[in-house]
Amino acid sequence: MTDQPGGRDPATTSTDDDGTEPDARYTFANERTFLAWSRTSLALVVGGLAIAQLLPPFPGIPWGRHVIGTPLILLGCAVSVISYLEWKASQRALRHGQPLPRSRLPQILAIAITVIGLIAAALALLSAVGVP
Amino acid sequence: MSPPTGKTPAGEEPADDIEYADPGLARERTELAWTRTAIAFAALGAALLKFRPVVGLLVLVLSAVVWRLGRLSGTASTADLRARLLLITVTTVAVSVVALVLSFLGPGIVSLR
Repeated sequence: MTDQPGGRDPATTSTDDDGTEPDARYTFANERTFLAWSRTSLALVVGGLAIAQLLPPFPGIPWGRHVIGTPLILLGCAVSVISYLEWKASQRALRHGQPLPRSRLPQILAIAITVIGLIAAALALLSAVGVP
Repeated sequence: MSPPTGKTPAGEEPADDIEYADPGLARERTELAWTRTAIAFAALGAALLKFRPVVGLLVLVLSAVVWRLGRLSGTASTADLRARLLLITVTTVAVSVVALVLSFLGPGIVSLR
C-alpha cells in the first residue's frame, strides 16, 4: 500500500502535501468523517433556523425562540469550521505517520447541546408557569 | 490518471486479498457520504426557498455541485480535496450567517402566511 494515488509528487507540492501519501482508505475515512460532521452542522443550522422562524412564540416570552435558535445556528457554524480544521490536522498526521489528534467535537457538541437543552426546558417551564 | 488503488471495475471479481478489494468499497462509502451531504444541502436549500428564494436557489445549485464533487472521490490530490472540503465549510458558514439574519429580521421582512 505504498502507491501514490493522484499522480502528484509530494515533494513538489505545498507544505500541507509533505510527508507520504497515506493508504487511500485512511484518506477516504477521514473525508467521510468530515462529511458526517458537515451534515451534523447543517442539521444544527436548519434546526436553529426552524426554531427561530417556524416555532410559535413562547407565551409571555417572545424572545424565547431566539435564545434557543441562535446558539444552535452558531454551534452549527462552529462544528463546520472545527471539522474542517480537524480533517486537515488528521490528514497531516496521516501523511507523517503520526498518531491522529483526538477530536474535540464530541465534547463540544455534547456540552453545547446539554446547555441548549436545559435552556429550552427552562423556557418551556417558565412560559407554562407564566412568570415574566 | 488512474490511481492504482481503489479501482474495482464493475462486473469484475473482487481481488482475493481484502486489502486490495476494500479501497473500492471505501471509495463507494465516501461517494455515498458525499451524496448524503448533497441531499442535506438540497433539503436546506428547499427550506430556504420559503424565506429567501434567491438564497435557496443558490444552495440548491450548490447541492448539485456537492453531488458532482462526490463523484470525484479519490481522483484528486490533497490540495484539490482540501479545496472541495473547504467549499462545504464556507457554504455552511455562509448559510449560518443567512440563518442568523433571517432568525432576527425574518418575521419583519417575510410574512409567514
